[in-house]
Amino acid sequence: MNAIVLSGIWGVVMMFAGLFLKSSKQIQWTALLGIIALLVVSILDYQAHSVQAQTYFGMMTIDVYTSWFSILITACCAMYLLIFHKDIAAVGKNEAEYFALIFFVMCGVYLLASYSNLLILFLGIEILSIPQYILAGSDKENIKSNEASLKYFLMGAFSTGLLLMGMTLIYGATGSFDITSEKFVGQFEQLSSMSSLSFVGILLLLISFGFKVSAAPLHLWTPDVYDGSPTAFTPFMATIVKVSVFVAFIRLFHFSFGNVSDAWQIAIASMIVLTLIIGNVTAVYQQSLKRMMAYSSIAQAGFMLFSIFAVNSTLAYKGILLYSVVYSLASIGVFAVIIKMKDYTYDGFNGLAKKQPVLAFTATVCLLSLVGIPLTGGFFAKYFVLSAVVEQGKYIWIVVFAVLMAAISAYYYFRVIRSMYFKTGEAAMHTEPTTWDKTLLILNAMIILLLGVLPSLVFG
Amino acid sequence: MNIYQITFWILSLFTLAFAIGVIMSRNPINSVLFLILTFFCISGHYVLMNAQFLAIVNIIVYAGAIMVLFLFVIMLMNLNSDTEPQKNFLVQFAGVVSGGALLLIMVAAIKSSLTGLEGKNIDLINSTDIGLIKNLGTVLFTTYVFPFEIASVLFLSAMVGAVVLGKKDSALKTAE
Amino acid sequence: MILTAITLGFILEKVILVSIILGGSLGIAMYSTWAERKVAAVMQDRRGPNRAGPFGLFQPLADGLKLFMKEEIIPTLSNKFLFILGPSLAMLMACMTSAVIPWGPNIVHADGSVFTLQVADINIGILFIFGVVSLGVYGIMLGSWASNNKYSLLSGLRAAAQAVSYELAMGLSLIALVMMSGSLSMREIVEQQHGFWNNGYFTWNFFKQPLAFVIFIVCSFAELNRAPFDLSECESELVGGYHTEFSSMKLGFYLFAEYINMFITSIILSSLFFGGYNYPGMDWVALHVSPLFVSIIGVLVLLGKAVAFILFFMFIRWTLPRFRYDQLMDLGWKSLIPLALFNMLVTGAIILAFQK
Repeated sequence: MNAIVLSGIWGVVMMFAGLFLKSSKQIQWTALLGIIALLVVSILDYQAHSVQAQTYFGMMTIDVYTSWFSILITACCAMYLLIFHKDIAAVGKNEAEYFALIFFVMCGVYLLASYSNLLILFLGIEILSIPQYILAGSDKENIKSNEASLKYFLMGAFSTGLLLMGMTLIYGATGSFDITSEKFVGQFEQLSSMSSLSFVGILLLLISFGFKVSAAPLHLWTPDVYDGSPTAFTPFMATIVKVSVFVAFIRLFHFSFGNVSDAWQIAIASMIVLTLIIGNVTAVYQQSLKRMMAYSSIAQAGFMLFSIFAVNSTLAYKGILLYSVVYSLASIGVFAVIIKMKDYTYDGFNGLAKKQPVLAFTATVCLLSLVGIPLTGGFFAKYFVLSAVVEQGKYIWIVVFAVLMAAISAYYYFRVIRSMYFKTGEAAMHTEPTTWDKTLLILNAMIILLLGVLPSLVFG
Repeated sequence: MNIYQITFWILSLFTLAFAIGVIMSRNPINSVLFLILTFFCISGHYVLMNAQFLAIVNIIVYAGAIMVLFLFVIMLMNLNSDTEPQKNFLVQFAGVVSGGALLLIMVAAIKSSLTGLEGKNIDLINSTDIGLIKNLGTVLFTTYVFPFEIASVLFLSAMVGAVVLGKKDSALKTAE
Repeated sequence: MILTAITLGFILEKVILVSIILGGSLGIAMYSTWAERKVAAVMQDRRGPNRAGPFGLFQPLADGLKLFMKEEIIPTLSNKFLFILGPSLAMLMACMTSAVIPWGPNIVHADGSVFTLQVADINIGILFIFGVVSLGVYGIMLGSWASNNKYSLLSGLRAAAQAVSYELAMGLSLIALVMMSGSLSMREIVEQQHGFWNNGYFTWNFFKQPLAFVIFIVCSFAELNRAPFDLSECESELVGGYHTEFSSMKLGFYLFAEYINMFITSIILSSLFFGGYNYPGMDWVALHVSPLFVSIIGVLVLLGKAVAFILFFMFIRWTLPRFRYDQLMDLGWKSLIPLALFNMLVTGAIILAFQK
C-alpha cells in the first residue's frame, strides 16, 4: 500500500523537480532516488504483509504474493531507469514529466498486482495506459511517434470500452464488483450455474486483456506503436507494463474464473496458437531490429499466455513470475544495445563484437535468454510455463507447437548474434557507452545467467 | 403499463434512434449533435432511476464540456463527406459480419438471462433514494474512498500528458 | 414520486407561474436594452433614447417591431437547419434557468394549501443551473458555424473556449458555498440566509464567502459574453461576432437571450450571495402586517437586487475596456481557478475547525 502512495507522490515530486531543478542531471537523479525509494518501500511492504494479508474495503488484497511481485517489478523498473535514464531525458524537453508519467505507471502496476475489485482493475489499467499514450507520442517532431501515440490511444480507448462492457455484464450477472465477495464467487463456482451474461462478460474481458498484452489477433497496434515510440520508452512498454497486465490477467482468470475454465480455455488456446505463429513468423521477415523486437514481444506474450492457460497450477504462477523478470531484463538488455546504435537494421549491427565487445556479449546473453537456451533464465521460464500445461494433461499438442515456434524464434534472434560476431562491418554508434552503462549491462546479463542456474531466486 | 414503463420505452426508443443517427450521419457536426441528444436521453434514464445527480452531471460533463470541445475540433477541421475515405467492400462486409455476430451474442445472452426473471417484479428502483447526492457522497467517502482517491492519479497523469503533448517545444527553445 | 404527483391543478398552477416568469423576464430583458442605452448615455454625457414616448420608454417596443419587420436573410451556403436552431437554442437555454429559482417565500393560503413561488424545487438546483448554462454555448456555436462565415466561426470558437474555461472557476467557487450550506437546492440555500442579522452574524452568504462572490461575478461576466469579456462579439475584430450573418428576429433572439441571461444571472447572484428574497426585518413584517406581504415584498426585494446587479453589469460595460484573448485565458486559468481552489481549501479548514 505504501508503494502505491509513494509512486503517486513521487510522480508529483518529479513534476516539481522539473519546475525547480535546472539541470537535467539533477532531475535524473531525483528519478533514480525515487525508484530506489520505491524499491525499499515495496520490500518493507513485503515484510509487513508476510505476516497477514490486508484488504482495503474489499478493493485491494495485499498479501505476500502480490507484494513479492511488486518487489520484482520495481526491481525491473529500477534496472530500466538505471540503464535508460539518460536516453529518457534526451527524448524531449519535458524530461521531468516523462519520469513523472513513469512513476504514475508504476502506481497502476501496483494496483494491478493486488486489486480485488473490478473497479480497481479498471483504474489500474487506465493509469497504466494513459501515460503510455503520452510517452509513445513524446517525440513530437517525429511523425512516426505521433502515429504510434494516436494509434495506441484510439485502439486502447476502444479496448477499454470493451473492458468496461465486460465488467458491466459481469456486474449484471453477479451484482458485485468485488471478486472476493460471495455473490461473485458463487456465480463462477461451476459452469452450469453461470449466467449467460457472464459468458459474454468473460469473453469481452478476455478480448480487452488480449489487446493490452498484444496477443493475436489483437496485436495489430503493437509493431507500429513499439517501432514508432521513442526507443527509450519502448522497453518500458514492452516489459514492465506488459507483464503487469499479465499478472492482472492471471489474477482475474485464475482466482475468479478458474472453476469455469472450460468457458474460456479454448479461446486462450486459439489466441496462443495465433500469437505464436504471427509473432514468430513475421519477426523472421523484419529488417529493423526494433521492429523485430516488437514482433518478438508478441511472440513472448504467446508463451506467457500459457501461464493463463494452465489453470490453478503452482507451476504456472512460478512460471509467470520467472517469465516476467527474465523477459523484462532480457528485453531491456537488448533495447539498451539498440538505443546505442545509429542504424537499427541488422546490417547496422555488423561487426559490433569487435568494436564494443561488452555490448555484443550482453546482447548475446539477452537474446539467448529470449530464445530459451539452457543456462539462461529464459530456459526455465519457458520450461515452467510449458510444463504447467503438460502437468494438466490436456492440450499437449499446443506445447509441441510452442516448442516448434521457439525453434523458429531462434532463427531471428541468432541472426542478430551472427551480425554482431560473424559479419564484418562498421557498426556505427549513436552514443558511446560509458563504463557505467557497461557495468549495468553486465550486471543485467549476470542476473539473467544467475536465474538460469538458480530460478528459485524469484519465487520468494 | 404504468407511467414509468411508458416513459422508459419512449426514452429508450429515442436513445436508440439518436444513437443510430450518430453513426448514420454523413456530416460529423450532425453526428455530434445526435450524440448530445443521446446523452440527454441517457440522463432521462438516470432520472427515471432516481439518480438525479448522475443525470445532471452527465449533462454538465458530457453535453456541456466534452461535446463542446468535440464540436470545437470538428468545426476547425471542416470535414466534408467527400473527404471521408471509402472502405473497400470486403472490409465493410467483415465488419458487418463480426459486429452482427457480437450483437447476436449479446442479445441472446441478455434474453436468456431474463428467462429466470419472468413474473418477478423489479421495483428496487422506485423505493430507494440511493442516487441522491447525500447517499452518493457517503458511499464515495467510505466504501469507495480508495478508488476515489486513486482516480486522482489517473486524472493527474492525463493532465500531465495533455500539457506535455500540448506544450510547444520549439517555442521554448527560441525563448531561452 | 415526481411523476405520480401530477394533477390538473398542479399543472395549471405551474403553467401560470411559468408564464408569469417568462413574461416577466422578457419584459425586464426588453427594458434592459433601454436601460443599457440610457446608462451609456449618462456615462457619456448624452441624452440617450428620448423620442419614442416619455424618456424614450417606448423605444424597446419600436426596436422589437423593427426587428420583426426586417427582411429575413438566410445565407445560401449555410446549414439552414442549424442556422435556425442556433438562435432558438440560445433563447431556450436562457429561459430554462429560471425554473429552479425561488422567487419568493411560500404563500400559505387560509385553507392550509401552499403556493410555492418556484417552478421546481429540485434537490440539485445549482447543478441544474450549471447544466443549462453549460449548454447555452451551443446556441452560439451552432449559429456561428452554420453561418458559413469565418468571422462568425472564430467568434463561436472564442465563445466556446471562454465558456468552458470560466465554467470551471465558476463551479469551483460555488463548491465553497455549497460546502457551507450543505445543500444544492436553491430554496434551501436561500432559506438559510433568512433575514439579515442573526445572533451577531450576517446571514447573507456574501459576508461568509466574499471571495467566492468575486470569482463568481467575474465568471458571470465571461459566461454572459459581456464587456470586458465580450471577445466573441468584438466589432473591431470580428465584424458582428457570431451574429454577423443573422438578421431580423433571429438576431433579435440572440440579443434578447443575452439580456435574459443577464437578468437570470443577476437573480442567481442575489439568490446565492445576497439573500434572495430575504430582507432585513422580514420577521417583523410577518408578525405585524401579514404573511402575504412578506412574500410580495420578498419578490419585489429580489427584483430590486436583480436590477441593482443589472445596473452593475452595465456600469462595468461602459467603464472597462475589453480584455485581450490571452489575458482572458490567463485570468481564468491562472488566477481564478487557483483562487477558487484556495477558497475551497480555506472553507474546508474552517468548517473542520468549527465542527470540533
